Amino acid sequence: MNQVVVDIADLAVSNDADANLVTFSLGSCIGVTIWDPQAHVGGLLHFMLPEASLSPEKAKASPAMFCDTGVPLLFKSAYQLGAAKERLVVRVAGGAQLLDEKGIFNIGKRNYLALRKIFWKNNVLIASEDVGGNVSRTLKLNVSSGEVMLKTREGEVAL
Amino acid sequence: MTAATVDRIVQKISALPRLPMTSMRLMQLLSNPDSSVRDVVEVIRFDPVVTAELLKICNSASIGLMRKIESVTDAARLLGTNRIFQLVMAAHTRTMLGSSQDGYGIPAGALWKHSVAVALAVERLARSLAREQVGQAFTAGLLHDIGKIILNTSVGADYAKIAELVKQGGVSFCEAEKSILGFTHAEIGARVGERWELPEAIVRAIRYHHEPEFCEPHDAIVDLTHIADIVCLQIGVGGGDDAMYYRIDGAAMERQGLKLSTLETVGAEVIVELKSIEKAFH
Ligand SMILES: [Fe+2]
Ligand SMILES: [Fe+2]
Repeated sequence: MNQVVVDIADLAVSNDADANLVTFSLGSCIGVTIWDPQAHVGGLLHFMLPEASLSPEKAKASPAMFCDTGVPLLFKSAYQLGAAKERLVVRVAGGAQLLDEKGIFNIGKRNYLALRKIFWKNNVLIASEDVGGNVSRTLKLNVSSGEVMLKTREGEVAL
Repeated sequence: MTAATVDRIVQKISALPRLPMTSMRLMQLLSNPDSSVRDVVEVIRFDPVVTAELLKICNSASIGLMRKIESVTDAARLLGTNRIFQLVMAAHTRTMLGSSQDGYGIPAGALWKHSVAVALAVERLARSLAREQVGQAFTAGLLHDIGKIILNTSVGADYAKIAELVKQGGVSFCEAEKSILGFTHAEIGARVGERWELPEAIVRAIRYHHEPEFCEPHDAIVDLTHIADIVCLQIGVGGGDDAMYYRIDGAAMERQGLKLSTLETVGAEVIVELKSIEKAFH
């Protein structure tokens, strides 16, 4: 197996049947996996903040840092490998939060809302998701089978 | 917690190797406004291992200098003494903070990464607020979780109990450490700092980094270390299974007059900087 690690504010796409795309310790960040069962193309994005308007200059240098620049780039990169939008299976994990009774600093929720908004505008459906809570998550996509595994301290389950 | 466990923890603290002399002397120099670039260069030049390592890091492509650096004087001129101090400190803590902390579910390398990220974030915050103690800010951030390497085994042994407490809700990981083990990693870290004879401001930041409200009087470096930690935990930089179970102190943010957008910008900047530092160390 060929493991491709996707760092924070980064993304990867692949059509290598031997590849696993994996990203570790998603806190308030969100991991998005896409997979085309026909073209056997998979992609994984680990974005960190909702909107590129926070820092257009950073968004230019690392578009995967933000939801509204990262998501389009993820999809486009997969299309380049032959994926088609209508076949893509989309799964989502992350958006956790710290203990924050007053809701002062909830990036996780804002990340998730930004993602829902962009998917809604573009008619993209989420096949499955595991978001929110106080959990740190690891997300792994098997490019050949499309299987997505979600790992926490509690164990590993299919998403 | 039994007396034997307390003994074991005390013993672990005394067995922990101290920070190398070069780091300690640089720390003193940088907190003294009268010291010169030459003083800093002399301290480093005196230590061949650090010199070699520093030159290697400075010449890595990711630091982005256009020409080859051949001496400590060159490095100091091009990067500034403050940056050099940071690179030396990061190098000196890499082995200690870089080992895996299984009790916390922290893989190898991750605690060092978290510590460097928090250090960069505290420094940026201190700079943006024009706080004077910028040099101490970095060190406070770098060492804030040093107590984890002492408590790791104890946390691992009692993880089930700690996890149950935090999952019932309303209890932070730190509070659970206190109630199950009798100490928090912050308190233990402060003891390490005392033993190392670190400046008081840094010991204070380590001790109160999860509970800045208990620091009397309130202190800017303590508040900023707390906030920087929260930013990095939130983003998920190098945290373990405990990462999301810490409490945000909104009062600390208010005291320092920090807006959310500033914190998010700092988070974004730190991620970019961290990636370049990580590459330089590879
Ligand atoms: Fe901590
Ligand atoms: Fe921390």
